[in-house]
Amino acid sequence: MGGLTFDWIGVLGGAPLEWLELGVLTTLYVTFAGFLVATLIAIVLLGLRISEKQIIQWPAITVVAVFRNTPLLVQILFWYFAGFGLLPADWRAWINDDHSWAMLPGGVGLLTPEFLAATWGLGVFSGVFIAEEIRAGLMAVAPGQREAALAQGFGHWRCLGYILLPQALANAWQPVVGQYLNLMKLSSLAAAIGLAEITYQVRQIESYNSHALEAFAVGTLLYLAIGMVMGQILLRCGPRSGTMIRGGIRRGP
Amino acid sequence: MGLDFTVVVRNLDYLLWGRLAEGELGGLLLTVIMAVSAGALSLLLGITLAVIAWRYAAIPRKLLFLWAELIRGVPLIFVIFWLYFLVPALFGGGIPNALSVILALAWFSSAAIMHSVLAGLQALPCSQYEAGIASGFTEFQVLRWILLPQALKNLIPSFVGLFASLIKDTSLAFIVNVPELTMVASQVNSRTQLFPTEIFLSIAALYFILCSVLSLIARSISNR
Amino acid sequence: MIEFRDVHKFYDKLHVIRGIDLSITKGEVVVICGPSGSGKSTLIRLVNQLEILSRGDILVDGQSVASLRSRSLRQLRTQIGFVFQQFNLYPHLTAEQNITLALRKVLSITPKDATLRAVELLERVGLADKRQAYPAQLSGGQQQRVAIARTLAMRPKILLFDEPTSALDPEMIGEVLTVMRDLATSGITMLVVTHEMGFARELADLVVFIDQGVILENAKPSDFFLSPQHPRTRQFLRQLLSPLHTAND
Ligand SMILES: Nc1ncnc2c1ncn2[C@@H]1O[C@H](COP(=O)(O)OP(=O)(O)O)[C@@H](O)[C@H]1O
Ligand SMILES: [Mg+2]
Repeated sequence: MGGLTFDWIGVLGGAPLEWLELGVLTTLYVTFAGFLVATLIAIVLLGLRISEKQIIQWPAITVVAVFRNTPLLVQILFWYFAGFGLLPADWRAWINDDHSWAMLPGGVGLLTPEFLAATWGLGVFSGVFIAEEIRAGLMAVAPGQREAALAQGFGHWRCLGYILLPQALANAWQPVVGQYLNLMKLSSLAAAIGLAEITYQVRQIESYNSHALEAFAVGTLLYLAIGMVMGQILLRCGPRSGTMIRGGIRRGP
Repeated sequence: MGLDFTVVVRNLDYLLWGRLAEGELGGLLLTVIMAVSAGALSLLLGITLAVIAWRYAAIPRKLLFLWAELIRGVPLIFVIFWLYFLVPALFGGGIPNALSVILALAWFSSAAIMHSVLAGLQALPCSQYEAGIASGFTEFQVLRWILLPQALKNLIPSFVGLFASLIKDTSLAFIVNVPELTMVASQVNSRTQLFPTEIFLSIAALYFILCSVLSLIARSISNR
Repeated sequence: MIEFRDVHKFYDKLHVIRGIDLSITKGEVVVICGPSGSGKSTLIRLVNQLEILSRGDILVDGQSVASLRSRSLRQLRTQIGFVFQQFNLYPHLTAEQNITLALRKVLSITPKDATLRAVELLERVGLADKRQAYPAQLSGGQQQRVAIARTLAMRPKILLFDEPTSALDPEMIGEVLTVMRDLATSGITMLVVTHEMGFARELADLVVFIDQGVILENAKPSDFFLSPQHPRTRQFLRQLLSPLHTAND
């Protein structure tokens, strides 16, 4: 048996503690930025996906297939090494410049290739999944709901906006929250491109003073805690489904 | 701008099976082997846990659910970390990095499998269980010969989907320097520096083909 | 008011409505009956184009529905009320909101006026105290009455009912029929698919019997019930009125 001894001061004091604080902030920032991007992408994809025209649906179907069937890590590496290089040269230069205004509280740079690639990669990936969850929620709305709305003179988009989407969101809110939480956990992959978030800092502590187990324990607890708080907030903010049941029963023959 | 895939072609054997000639497995082949082993292990573990949770509905089930909840709340990278450092520390001596990743992946997805198998068992009508007991089977025999076969058959498509996720998740092995597909690709990328687009597009295509074929299979099974 | 002219409907190869001609004048109450699967629902869903015509035409107020698209179709639908077998109330909205939503968003009525109408109609169907209730908190009969109120709020010229009492427990059928009786005597044009023969006998101006997509019998209730012409009609009525008959779908 290799003996297990713990020294928490090596992790929760001095430089390691500062690193961890910075790591938590970075994880929170990149999660929040990714959240915004994911929400935007999900809205756009969903809009394309539920339009009545086939030609508009195809690009969305392709995007969904590509991003669901490749690993997020490969996507992040692609955005960082290849995608960033595809930007016009003066944009890259501008991003690499110093921007005091783009410094988030706590000293985390917003306009760095790492932060941008991670935010974009996480956002696109999660957005694709969120769009699909909401679409599944939409499919679960009873067909009679659409018929009732049409019979009242609602058009396609208003029927969606007032009748179908509110129900779809309530149906799908649990899994959608799951996807947002996933985004937070998956931000750990940004360590691979050198974004100094929690996972990156934990490994740095490990190589700094070999306090691997202590550092992992603290990292694990941090992710659990962030996830719990975030999950509670999202579930509170979401559409309530307590007072409602699914719409009518499927119309029989 | 034109793309130049010669770098991929020149390193193709390295991307596909690593340094197999020198006895060091890697690349796509290692990715597939890891996913298959982790899949088999997690199936075994997941079904066993589901049976326990099904049979002992009181405290054991609650504990298993708590365990699954914990696993789900932590990034997969950390599950890999834990196995990578804890297994050698507890049992002395090292295990190969790839093995610790396989164990971590199996551990991680067994939680999902447990949940879906349990749901599958609970979805079967009570009459199945009662009919089995009435014809003289023991509880375990009913489970083994009547309930599990039905539940598992319905779950095959979701298992195929889970296997596709495992293929994608093997990419996280980079964190402990296992030379699977993503890792060897980033090695080639940092060695050559000039062709990131070509390299990452190519391996994305490899993953894409594998996973889409799997999801097509899953769909055709569930439509049958 | 409504005129069916050689109306046909195909689902792929399946010929469901096979040449229907029927004329309904303003203020008439017409009951449609027939065995399950005979095409009753399809026929009335064609009137507001929930199903698309395959051949022939339907004139509503002299206007051909076959040629209507988007705007003018929505305009027509606001003038035709439809009550579904399964109620189809919006489960995420309260009874009052179910009524006011289309008033505000489709007819652009001010929220205040919309609420006034909702209150008045809920009172009319005997549910004044259920304004804030969600559909899930209401019984089947109450849900159907809210659905009728929602339809009436649009002030339609025509009301279509698709087996409005068939999904209800027997003890709740009465309350819905009471509301419908009230409507039938108010002078509005009604096309009602139902197996409630009491309603037909008492309130219909015309009873239409459909089998396999064609009209077999089209008569005043007195003639329909006392001297049905077609053997299929007699068989249908015998089954429906036999003491052993239970559910009608
Ligand atoms: N959307 C549909 N697609 C294909 N067939 C349909 C559809 N709706 C109804 N049918 C068929 O059309 C026939 C008439 O149906 P319906 O009008 O609902 O009958 P009823 O209301 O008289 O019971 C039935 O045979 C039914 O199976
Ligand atoms: Mg019907």
